[in-house]
Amino acid sequence: MKIEVQEKDEKIIRLIVKDVDVSLMNSLRRIIVSEVPSMSIDEVVVIENSSILQDEIISHRLGLIPLTTDLEGYNLPENCSCASEFGCNLCRVTLTMNSEARDQTQTVYSGELVSENPAVIPVSDKIPIVKLSKGQKLKFEAYARLGKGKKHAKWQPVSMCTYKYYPKIEVPSKECKDCSKCVDICPKRVLGMKGKRVEIKNLLACNLCMDCVDECPKNVPPIKITWEKNAYILSIESTGVLPPEKIIQQTTKILEEQLTELKREIEAIKK
Amino acid sequence: MIIPVRCFTCGKLVGDKWEEFARRIKTGENASDVLDSLDLSRYCCRRMLLSNVEIIDQVLRFNEETEKRKEAHNFY
Repeated sequence: MKIEVQEKDEKIIRLIVKDVDVSLMNSLRRIIVSEVPSMSIDEVVVIENSSILQDEIISHRLGLIPLTTDLEGYNLPENCSCASEFGCNLCRVTLTMNSEARDQTQTVYSGELVSENPAVIPVSDKIPIVKLSKGQKLKFEAYARLGKGKKHAKWQPVSMCTYKYYPKIEVPSKECKDCSKCVDICPKRVLGMKGKRVEIKNLLACNLCMDCVDECPKNVPPIKITWEKNAYILSIESTGVLPPEKIIQQTTKILEEQLTELKREIEAIKK
Repeated sequence: MIIPVRCFTCGKLVGDKWEEFARRIKTGENASDVLDSLDLSRYCCRRMLLSNVEIIDQVLRFNEETEKRKEAHNFY
């Protein structure tokens, strides 16, 4: 298995993975989407809310705010030693809000949430929660917990996680002359013209849509779009809760745990 | 009513981008360029901002008017 980092910043990572099976890529994808835990507000105790949005709407908006996650410091509620429904310091973070519009209409932002742990704070300070007109108040206590994407999408650490086949494009320069139809139709601008010849400009952008082949005026299109065997491009876009490389680390860890469990179960049946 | 926190389809955070988007659109900038510079590349996230109608300010006015009416009622 060969992995090459093609692109990486604080939110997006794009890997080229070679010599693996599709099934492994798909299991990685599914684990990222549904098994990697992250922190999210799960319960809200509204103390005072005279705003125009109902408690439920505000709670829903709070739940969707991505919180930076500290995976080492907290347990999943179901695995926590406290075994209580309410939670303890090891599986719950309290965030409080006390906001009032004194002299004019004001927006309540996510930055006003006060967290008991400075490592668990909203990813962005500028998310509007509600608008208060003069004299309205909003006061609540919210409990954030670790959770998994399979229970609710708010716990998904990613906003995009896909893989595609590594494209392979062949343009025979002999037969293709004076025609740029395939270049013009390509939605991803993969192809370009070099003089009178078609050349490949951005191979990795190709999504194998085959529009270039369909557009070719010749009976047997000389341009050939195929894909490499056992080579994939894995793209991940984090919501900001975890750095993307950390998400992949966690994924491999979870996959390993699941496989060991499967092995143990199979061996138990054998006996 | 108010800008949703996340994109309905993919879950990307869009709530914090609304104010900049609205401000820049008002100055006459091209919506497509603004969305590009806000790093919203997929059309699911782009429609979240493009199709949002920020109606909460109008709703707040009802509230303010009721307050005023209450005050006037107490006065007489």
